[in-house]
Amino acid sequence: MARWSPPRNGGGGHDFDFKKKRKVEEIYQALNSDPIDVAALRRMAISEGGLLMDEIRCKVWPKLLSVNTDDLPPLPGKELREDNKDYQQVLLDVRRSLRRFPPGMPDDQREGLQEELIDIILHVLKRNPQLHYYQGYHDIVVTFLLVVGDRLATALVEKLSTHHLRDFMDPTMDNTKHILNYLMPIIDQVNPEVHDFMQSAEVGTIFALSWLITWFGHVLSDFRHVVRLYDFFLACHPLMPIYFAAVIVLHRQQEVLDCECDMASVHHLLSQIPQDLPYESLISKAGDLFVQFPPSKLAREAAQQQAERTAASTFKDFELASVQQRPDTVLRQRFGEQPRGEERTKSILTKPRTNRFVKLAVMGLTVALGAAALAVVKSALEWAPKFELQIFP
Amino acid sequence: MMAAAADLESSLELSLTGSGALPGGLPPARSRIFKIIVIGDSNVGKTCLTYRFCAGRFPQRTEATIGVDFRERAVTIDGERIKIQLWDTAGQERFRKSMVQHYYRNVHAVVFVYDMTNIASFHSLPSWIEECKQHLLANDIPRILVGNKCDLRSAIQVPTDLAQKFADTHSMPLFETSAKNPNDNDHVEAIFMTLAHKLKSHKPLMLSQPPDHDEIRIKPEPKPAMTCWC
Ligand SMILES: Nc1nc2c(ncn2[C@@H]2O[C@H](COP(=O)(O)OP(=O)(O)OP(=O)(O)O)[C@@H](O)[C@H]2O)c(=O)[nH]1
Ligand SMILES: [Mg+2]
Repeated sequence: MARWSPPRNGGGGHDFDFKKKRKVEEIYQALNSDPIDVAALRRMAISEGGLLMDEIRCKVWPKLLSVNTDDLPPLPGKELREDNKDYQQVLLDVRRSLRRFPPGMPDDQREGLQEELIDIILHVLKRNPQLHYYQGYHDIVVTFLLVVGDRLATALVEKLSTHHLRDFMDPTMDNTKHILNYLMPIIDQVNPEVHDFMQSAEVGTIFALSWLITWFGHVLSDFRHVVRLYDFFLACHPLMPIYFAAVIVLHRQQEVLDCECDMASVHHLLSQIPQDLPYESLISKAGDLFVQFPPSKLAREAAQQQAERTAASTFKDFELASVQQRPDTVLRQRFGEQPRGEERTKSILTKPRTNRFVKLAVMGLTVALGAAALAVVKSALEWAPKFELQIFP
Repeated sequence: MMAAAADLESSLELSLTGSGALPGGLPPARSRIFKIIVIGDSNVGKTCLTYRFCAGRFPQRTEATIGVDFRERAVTIDGERIKIQLWDTAGQERFRKSMVQHYYRNVHAVVFVYDMTNIASFHSLPSWIEECKQHLLANDIPRILVGNKCDLRSAIQVPTDLAQKFADTHSMPLFETSAKNPNDNDHVEAIFMTLAHKLKSHKPLMLSQPPDHDEIRIKPEPKPAMTCWC
């Protein structure tokens, strides 16, 4: 396996302080460990600053999505555009997506990227006929394109689309609506007054629709904030964006309460997302909320619908599948070769989900990373017990 | 990756916030509010039209509308301050079904938009009209039909007489206009103001008309046959 070393000058920023430097080292350590320490990478993606640089994201995002970068599918040809039912809509949306590209970028370069963007979207849709294009999907894909380039973006987006974004890509938006239904119960748990105010204004939840289905890519104009959030969301449960949406509303609770109590005013206020949000503290709060009020607790309050088809539930499969499909199949091979090792592992995994692991997590992580990291640890324990050994080596 | 620092100037939302509070307005609670929903296929120019009316100019660039955007403008009609609220909806079909319903509630008027350079957007109108009927309680709220992009003369696909016939069938006034054309400064304005006048002349509270000569039409009509326009 190739060893990666940290970039010399850490991306060139002079404010690249000691803390960041140390984090970069830790990330590379996790990448270079054998097997790759995905759990540590998840923690890094969540904790302050996220993955810090696009260079790192190129390496870590595939791990978070369990995509094998050694075996990328070939890029599609132009025939994709010929008989694709979504082509027209994709074209219209991508043409209008100028704001997603860095302002200084020369037109021809941007136009080239826009063509690539169209191809990636059509490619993923063609390979997955069960997926349906929605306006806003292009805002997600462009983020991957700009960070990792077209080839890798195609693979990452395909994985994301069949997991985290799966619900948004149903033939109808019923499941998306269902996920939006989690928003008010979360707000209610933290600040019933805000909740009641919003209910009596009958504001609904559509103000948060574009936040949710674009992972905020549509509404934040600073690309650095967008990728920071993507680090966070890629490392977390697929419902995390809705917790983050709730945290934004709660962050503005005073403004909300000062607003006229009618649909238009509240919708207007909330849909204008402030561009100077304190992202790091909001991320950590979203993590806290997730731990305090996990989706299972809220599920009853969100409209009762069978959860089977939601991304939230496929996440479990995804995590488990991730373990099995890990590009570095070393772990499995080793288990295969050494049955005794495997047995030993099993005994650890089945019986004692010992407090020791959890306590270690609580103590170690709250101190080091803030409570947000707990969400991921908890998630990892809940959804992918096989990760336990890797989380706490 | 360089940060795509927000080019604030072109940010729709920011400039709208600026225009939301027109100087000299009465406190908002005092003004009557007219809620108007704007619907039609993707890319017909709903965002541009509403922006043009509320901010006074054609937006440099728009993006796909996801869900529903809100814009408003205060106007004075016959000495009365009135707030016109425009709900700019997403054109893609999947959004209409489960997402947009909420916004049909309590609207006072509907603006149907098609793109004069795109016949498909015109052919979609019956389904928009049908959808609107399903969501609206009142049958008699004012509705108008707007053909947009008339500045693109050489690309027109929807002839005026065809559109007029359709509008007549559905008892709607037709306006052909351009959100873009800079020489036609007052036209978009005039359309929305006409609507506002019509709303103002309705009963102040409910803004709904007593049944008049239109009464016969209130019965559900058979769906207009698509064939009659082709
Ligand atoms: N030439 C011309 N172009 C226009 C006019 N109005 C809008 N456009 C262009 O048409 C495209 C679509 O306009 P939008 O206002 O974004 O369309 P929309 O109906 O809001 O589309 P959705 O949000 O996807 O439903 C943009 O590229 C506009 O620049 C017009 O009057 N003339
Ligand atoms: Mg629009």
